[in-house]
Amino acid sequence: MRSPALPIGWEFRRRHLWALIAYAAYLVILAAIKLLVLWPAQPVTLDERATVVTVPLSTLFFYFLAVFSFGLAGDLAARPSLYPARMFVLPVTSGALAGWPMLYGAAAMTSLWLGTALFARWSWGIDLPLLWPGLLCVVFLAWTQALTWMPYGLPGLRVLITVLWLTVLDAVVLLAVHYKVRETVMAAMLAPLLPLAYLTARYAVSRARRGDVPDWRGIFARPGSNAVLTRRRDHFPSPARAQVWFEWRRHGRSLPALVGLLLPFELGLLWLARDAPGFVFEILFLALITPPFMAACTAWTVSRPNPQGRDSYGVPPFIATRPLTSAELIAAKLKMAMWSTLAAWLVVLVATPLALEWSGTWSVVTERVRRMHDAFGTPRAATVVLLILAGFIVATWKQLVQSLHIGLTGRAWIVKGSVVLTLTLLILLGPIVEWIIDRPSVQRTLWNALPLILAVLVAIKMSAAAWIATRLDRGRLLGDRALVLGAACWCAAVLALYGVLVWFFSTPFVAHYLLALIAILAVPLARLSAAPLALAWNRHR
Amino acid sequence: MSDSVIEVSELTRRFGATTALDAVSLSLPRGAVYGLVGANGAGKTTLIRHILGLLRAEHGAVRVFGLDPVADPVGVLSRIGYLSEENDLPGWMRVDELIRYTSAFYPKWDDDYAEELRRAFALDPAAKIKDLSKGQKARAGLLIALAHRPELLVLDEPSSGLDPIVRRDILGAVIRTIADEGRTVLFSSHLLEEVEQVADHVTMINQGRIVLSDRLDAIKESHRVDGRVPSLDEIFVALVGVPAAPAPDA
Repeated sequence: MRSPALPIGWEFRRRHLWALIAYAAYLVILAAIKLLVLWPAQPVTLDERATVVTVPLSTLFFYFLAVFSFGLAGDLAARPSLYPARMFVLPVTSGALAGWPMLYGAAAMTSLWLGTALFARWSWGIDLPLLWPGLLCVVFLAWTQALTWMPYGLPGLRVLITVLWLTVLDAVVLLAVHYKVRETVMAAMLAPLLPLAYLTARYAVSRARRGDVPDWRGIFARPGSNAVLTRRRDHFPSPARAQVWFEWRRHGRSLPALVGLLLPFELGLLWLARDAPGFVFEILFLALITPPFMAACTAWTVSRPNPQGRDSYGVPPFIATRPLTSAELIAAKLKMAMWSTLAAWLVVLVATPLALEWSGTWSVVTERVRRMHDAFGTPRAATVVLLILAGFIVATWKQLVQSLHIGLTGRAWIVKGSVVLTLTLLILLGPIVEWIIDRPSVQRTLWNALPLILAVLVAIKMSAAAWIATRLDRGRLLGDRALVLGAACWCAAVLALYGVLVWFFSTPFVAHYLLALIAILAVPLARLSAAPLALAWNRHR
Repeated sequence: MSDSVIEVSELTRRFGATTALDAVSLSLPRGAVYGLVGANGAGKTTLIRHILGLLRAEHGAVRVFGLDPVADPVGVLSRIGYLSEENDLPGWMRVDELIRYTSAFYPKWDDDYAEELRRAFALDPAAKIKDLSKGQKARAGLLIALAHRPELLVLDEPSSGLDPIVRRDILGAVIRTIADEGRTVLFSSHLLEEVEQVADHVTMINQGRIVLSDRLDAIKESHRVDGRVPSLDEIFVALVGVPAAPAPDA
């Protein structure tokens, strides 16, 4: 007997089989290490090797959210449903169209949690609850599916509603965990949400299927928009400015919007922290790391030339045939990233003082500032604050642009290889750090070898930069003047950072040459310079 | 200075085991309307992508206006108007934004001509590209390809899948471009009767090889059968063995 469930399931399995095999293989390798290298009977402390499980688990969780909601193939901010329109013509009911992907997603999420929990029980001897976290994963996915398949009246409304609803779910579960609610109660709380999600999804798919996309844009049209339209018809002063405008409209607004979306929830916690000064600073730190963190999340769209296109890695002909050099196309992306960073930080710098003032926690911050002033003196205290702020701002921009040289190559194997490499490093980071912390002899060796390690890293960086500069020159991607100007700017940035570091660490215990090496490593050079090469390789295949 | 706008010599391109272009040589005279015809997958788009510098010549050479399109994309692309088969205009732009954005790249952009074309093609300036029909998108693409009065207009399967009214608009625009003295058109299509109406030079390409290239009237004259001048379709079938365009019921 034939069933529509089979082709729908086959499509998920066919497209994502390798990711599932990779995860299963990873668990098998971990099991083999546990059996053959570590003592089979002795549980391993989770603290030491938590990232070994948490990083792949959370990665696969988000991957499943994207896969089963069809979020990888569409524009999240668009008004129409993200459900693939090609499936609307299948001779099945809307209930089946919504139900089968939800069922497959639920099965995948349940397997993910059960596999991980049982593995953790066997390897680490930790009894993780089996029922409610698995159910929570399924509920999360079901509501993500329902809300992403719904057509909306305004662009971006999907992201807003989905984030808000999932945050509410998350907050309720966290409160329940905090008050140590029993597992059966948790399950009873979560289970009714599943049929509700299915009904919402079925309604969303049936609306999308009949092309019912509400349009509320007229309600928010500004009065006098015709005048705006006329004013906007002025010509761009140069092709470069036009390209920056293009990049801004395409990618620049995502970061400030996401930061603006998250910040109210983070700063809202200040109202709960009036009597806990330590918590106030934790919240402020959270607010400060939001732009760089969200920049890291949105960077893949900036470095992906054609996210919604058939070939999402290739440069679309419309852009490839712009009469601009590859270096000019990259310059537009860098400028857009700068404006996007400044806009996101403007949101933070306006919202944070307002939230501090309205929540009555200003006094906590001013008290800490006064103590800093007493300890360091005004110039040094002010410089420290400004440097920290500047560091966060630069880190945000850097997060946005540092993967351009990977994404713009247009080669899927490079992009996917880089993701695997990054995940591997993240997984290994925890155990390596713990291993170093546990062994004072290793720490001593590393400390003694620090100058050598830094010097080797500098040598690698400068060699890569020299090779890239030669390729840029030979390929006529950058003129001599631009190369010299770029090198001069980089030197100036390194010198400025070195000066600040020397001024700040005015102690005989840290050698100045170490600070110079750190400054050289901190200012981006090789990866940024490689971006025009990557784009040219993609644009002229 | 050569009078050829495009010079392609011994161009070969392979994608894995498939040879997309096999020692193709071509010279496009200035002021000609040049039809590049062949079945789907014959290598027309690959050849055009080399001319635009979107593909690097692995073997052989490509020169456009005497320049290498890969080494000097600005020098070449600023003189070309291009309508892509894919028609990948950014869906989020409004028509007026598309015109404003594109105009920034071309010093010879003619605002009056752009407005004239916009009216002729009945494009609403406030409409978003993604909300346009396929035919309207093709018109918008044609508008930005023509409005800077390019020295070379490259149309890659411009009428593929479009209705007769849009095809008429495209052909009309091509003919108008021809009227502008000294401009050259490279027009690829598998619809041979369409090429026959406007081209004065025709190159037939099949499985990456050029099977015939000459002036249209010379081709027709040389293939005259019993005093009857055959159509381009008939000549193509005689040379290649199959028609360039699939049968309507196929």
